[in-house]
Amino acid sequence: MMTAPQARPAVPPAVSPATAPEPAPLLDVRGLTISYGNARGTLRAASDVSFAIRPGEVMGLVGESGSGKSTIAMAILDLLGGGGRVESGEILFDGVDLRRLSPSERQALRGDRIAAVFQDPFTSLNPALTVGHQIAEPLIQHKGLSPRQAAARVQDLLAEVGIRDPRRVAAAYPHELSGGMQQRALIATALGCEPKLLILDEPTTALDVTVEARIIELLAKLCDSHRLSALFVSHNLGIVNRICQTVTVLYGGVVVETGATGRVLSRPAHPYAKGLVAALPRITAERRHRLPSIPGTVAKLSGPPAACVFAPRCPFAEETCRSQPQAMRMDGSTDGVRCWKADALAGTPWPDEDAAADHRPRTTQPRSAPLVEVDHLRKIYGASRSILPWLRRAGTVAVEDVSFTVGRGEVVGVVGESGSGKSTIGRVLLALTEPSAGTVMFDGADLTQQIASGDQTLRRRAQLVFQNSAASLNPRKTVGAAMDRPLVLAGRADAEERRRTVASLLTRVGLPAAYADRYPHELSGGERQRVNIARALATDPDFVVCDEAVSALDVSVQANILNLLAELRDEMGLSYLFITHDIAVVSHIADRVLVVYGGTICEEGPIGRVLRPPYHPYTEALLSAVPRLAEDGHEAPRILLEDASPAPGGRGCVFAGRCPRKLGSVCDEQAPPVHETADGHRIACHIPLATLAERAAVFPELADGDTRH
Amino acid sequence: MTDATPARAPVQSVPRRHLPSLPVSLLVGIVLLAPLVVAAVAGSWIAPYPYDEMNIMSRLQPPGVEFWFGTDEFGRDVFSRTLVGTGSSLVMGVAATALSLLAGVPLGLIAGYKGGRTGEAIMRAMDVLMSFPPILLGILVLAVTPPAQWKAIVAIGIVYVPQVVRLTRAITLELMQEEFITAARLRGESAAYILFHEILPNIWPPLVVEASLRVVFAILLGASLSFIGMGAQPPSSDWGLMISEARPFVEQAPWIALCPGFALATAVIGINLLGDGLRALLDPRNTGAH
Amino acid sequence: MFAYTLTRLVYLALVLAVMSVLIFLVTQAMPGDVASMIAGQFASKEVVDAIAVKLGLDQPLIVQYGHWAAGILRGDLGRSLVLEQPIGPILMEALARSLVLAVVALFVVAVVGIGLGVLAAVRRGKLTDQLVSGVSYLGIAVPDFFWAIVLVLVFGSYMKLLPTGGYAPIADGFLPWASHLVLPVITLVLMLLARIARLTRSSMIDVLQTNYVKFARAKGMPESVVILRHALKNALLPTITVLAIDFGLILGGVVVIETIFSYPGMGRLLLFAIQRHDLPLIQATILIVSAAYCLANLTADLLYAFVNPKIRHGMRAS
Repeated sequence: MMTAPQARPAVPPAVSPATAPEPAPLLDVRGLTISYGNARGTLRAASDVSFAIRPGEVMGLVGESGSGKSTIAMAILDLLGGGGRVESGEILFDGVDLRRLSPSERQALRGDRIAAVFQDPFTSLNPALTVGHQIAEPLIQHKGLSPRQAAARVQDLLAEVGIRDPRRVAAAYPHELSGGMQQRALIATALGCEPKLLILDEPTTALDVTVEARIIELLAKLCDSHRLSALFVSHNLGIVNRICQTVTVLYGGVVVETGATGRVLSRPAHPYAKGLVAALPRITAERRHRLPSIPGTVAKLSGPPAACVFAPRCPFAEETCRSQPQAMRMDGSTDGVRCWKADALAGTPWPDEDAAADHRPRTTQPRSAPLVEVDHLRKIYGASRSILPWLRRAGTVAVEDVSFTVGRGEVVGVVGESGSGKSTIGRVLLALTEPSAGTVMFDGADLTQQIASGDQTLRRRAQLVFQNSAASLNPRKTVGAAMDRPLVLAGRADAEERRRTVASLLTRVGLPAAYADRYPHELSGGERQRVNIARALATDPDFVVCDEAVSALDVSVQANILNLLAELRDEMGLSYLFITHDIAVVSHIADRVLVVYGGTICEEGPIGRVLRPPYHPYTEALLSAVPRLAEDGHEAPRILLEDASPAPGGRGCVFAGRCPRKLGSVCDEQAPPVHETADGHRIACHIPLATLAERAAVFPELADGDTRH
Repeated sequence: MTDATPARAPVQSVPRRHLPSLPVSLLVGIVLLAPLVVAAVAGSWIAPYPYDEMNIMSRLQPPGVEFWFGTDEFGRDVFSRTLVGTGSSLVMGVAATALSLLAGVPLGLIAGYKGGRTGEAIMRAMDVLMSFPPILLGILVLAVTPPAQWKAIVAIGIVYVPQVVRLTRAITLELMQEEFITAARLRGESAAYILFHEILPNIWPPLVVEASLRVVFAILLGASLSFIGMGAQPPSSDWGLMISEARPFVEQAPWIALCPGFALATAVIGINLLGDGLRALLDPRNTGAH
Repeated sequence: MFAYTLTRLVYLALVLAVMSVLIFLVTQAMPGDVASMIAGQFASKEVVDAIAVKLGLDQPLIVQYGHWAAGILRGDLGRSLVLEQPIGPILMEALARSLVLAVVALFVVAVVGIGLGVLAAVRRGKLTDQLVSGVSYLGIAVPDFFWAIVLVLVFGSYMKLLPTGGYAPIADGFLPWASHLVLPVITLVLMLLARIARLTRSSMIDVLQTNYVKFARAKGMPESVVILRHALKNALLPTITVLAIDFGLILGGVVVIETIFSYPGMGRLLLFAIQRHDLPLIQATILIVSAAYCLANLTADLLYAFVNPKIRHGMRAS
């Protein structure tokens, strides 16, 4: 399933203000200030926020967590919860201030002329009602349709959002549908009453990349064909680039920059926007191991800003920035920036202090000798041998016949979507769960046998950095206490010496030694992730599994942590198994990569090989789904996969059900052969290698001769 | 990734060692319970009359200056009896709860941590215990031998063991999924260390709340058992027993039942409020963590 | 769903078997000896022994248990020593009366409790909410027998509106029958109302904060639809479970209330049996009450599974 290269939809005819009168904006937010208040103080979620969306325009509202972007979306819908209050400002929809309407008038607009789609499809649908019923509700409520008429319309709507069998989906309960299908159903609900404005609050964040690509494609098509205006709230600049004509950047509840998407992302004017764009890992020709990063943590305001909100983290800040609040400076009707130095800084990139570190030598050359050897690993969950025959179950295959090695000082990336078995592989390697079959050798010794015999020494040499930095620290223990235990277990008796070690470990990961006395909840997310890394280092490991270790972090913090991990690898010779769904992150840090799908490895090899053809069809789809910041003009066709789940444990190729290049019944019935090219690059596919190699590169900028990749 | 919930986030910087303000319900609970605790400890010294002093001349006296809450059918002072009975009634609740915690928490921890056959066996045994209606189980245990208060305590303790086991196991299972437990396993901690240093400190806040509710149920069940003659025995002035003894005279002398009834209500409401207050106090969202 | 039900039934049978052993052993340990009770206070040892042999009481416990259990499986619950009648009919009559009490009380509790809980959740933190929690506190603050005494005092003795105890068969007319039920039902309702109201309130509050309720509001649904259709349907799941468990509690646990109101149900029968050391009657009553309690629990779980589309459609409940 392929579509022609689709660039951003054209900017609506309003760019030349000199010739035609500016059409009145559909949504005009002016001076919106929102506070959350409780007994302990107030938090300003939005300060004097203004922006406008013209008819037929999709505007991106971007920012990191705590920037106030979702709060603004909820304020427009009049659905602020948890003590949130609009302090001042106007929300003009079609010229009418929504704040002056009565609650019932606002309710009549919601779902009818202003519709919404939220982040998490899994929780946005009511589990107790059928999908069809939930789509029909607003039709009956706002359009006065009879239940029968509404049911007929539901079928049309479901078909319009690309659902093949509308009848079945309408009768289904939400839990019977995949995430992508649920999100389609939500979009169908939003479209039902032919709204003029869509509020899209991170509509694809909870979805896998291949599903995300299809949903974004669908949204772009619908906005175009229905001439819909939309407010697209997102933290993902690549997605914003795909669908939005204009973008507004928020920081600490303040609009710092606004303008046409292409201009803002390619030539950001505000220092924060520059930093955000620079810190994003991306797949480029020149391979970098250090990312430019933004120091510090996100600002939170309790009152009107007294200075530039970004000044504490801004490398260009001067005295004026710290003493005077900044005003928005508009350039024409659409572009604006809240920085008095913007003109002076035009063309000055975000400082890249870590660039030099890229050329520092690594203590261990990758792939010298294998540290971890995984041989024919298989893991089945939930198998049950009950005496009651109807309770016996064969279990679900999480990992099916996986073999690979990790060399000393090598970083092996594991890329896959949810349900691919990537986390299970990590857990088996850490002896957190026993393999159902196969062996894991760690430094020449059988890991499972060692653990079973009660020997914990091997275990301490392999550590884990978790995704959720908050949950991985015991809330009732100080940072110091959490790091002290591994040292005690290692037999270090001298308390004073242990204290010094903790201090040096904290310093090692870039935290003040005084943090040893703090409790986890007193730290920010990025700081907690540093503590996590420091704790993993306390056992003096050789091997660290990073399970989505940077996925929950904001872009600016993520860059910091990635740099730290790269530094530790270079200096201590650590090996990583880097598990993630984010290919840009993997291409940035990994030496080799395993692409997993449905519990099997479909492609593996040096990162530079995997990013270039020949591709496994799944790798190709995965790569083409990666949203990109810069449109390079000669983009390869985007490959869109069906919404379907892998079916591991069968006889054929696990990807056969979704494969756009499926050959025929051979794919369903026989396990694919493994083609091997140079440098240990392997592809498991029935399609001959030569045919696979004929495909165009998804990233043509990665030249063939590039040795760094 | 969303910023929909900044309401709970502390403003500007995180205050260190944030001391939460005490919930109102906790304070009211303490105010209600304080006099009862005093009565339980020092009841027989502060009571105006000995609790078992009979006086045929002043039978069924209504409340007045001499006898603040009247007298019962033997001419015993109702107020003094209620005061002295505090100890018996509260001890019944607290001791029975302590017993069920003592037996239930370790069983629950083992069932949650070990799982497998051991866990299965524990939970199935608890299922059988839970298949009896609570008061019936109490009666069944008590009917074997002549009634006595300590036996009632044991019986109530046994009745509530399954609930404690279930709760402890559920929290333990939940905690076992937590990543900081995984981290402890990864650094090679022993099962005992994980149970006592990682799990137990996180388990006691919900257990304290649970215990306060259990005390209420235990007091009420104890009173019920005394009421049907299977708990405290005459001439004890246990509240349940007092109400039971007052029943035949309730039309002529309702005060005999009302005084212990109100005492019971005060205790139950006080402990309930205390439990609610503790729940609010121990809620991690209230300590600056989020 | 079918496999789930089947598993639970197998499991119920196992639990009941274990329970019957426990009940048998405990009652054996009780004071009172069947043979001497039948023989009478002044009978000679020889007579007592002869009766014991005739009843098989001289045989090992396991054989005695086998006889008893086999009898139950055949539907023969034995003979009451004190009443000198077969236990079956007595028990069934008492069970029917207790059932009436339980069903009426449960109905009232469900309607009033869920109503109050929803009201309190919707008006969270406001006066209505505080009133509801105040009233529900009162209900659980005092033991049921205290309420019973107060009700008897007020409605029976002072106002002389209602009978203070006893039971009238429905054959005597609807009003007399119903009037005997009023006070026990109110007492039971007071006891159970608080839990149902508070549970409904808290699960309703949780549900009102979910994304799907937010999405329903974003669709422009009126608040009444959001609360009654979107929220209540999900919030009722835990309440249904507790209601079914309460049903079992009422059946088995109303010993005290039935005693106070002289209501001739299972609870009073049990207490009577214990006080008179009527071992066969004790065994039978406890077994039947416990079985009813287990069945109510099972119904609760099945009901939960049935109203929950996640379990009803395909997914297995564990």
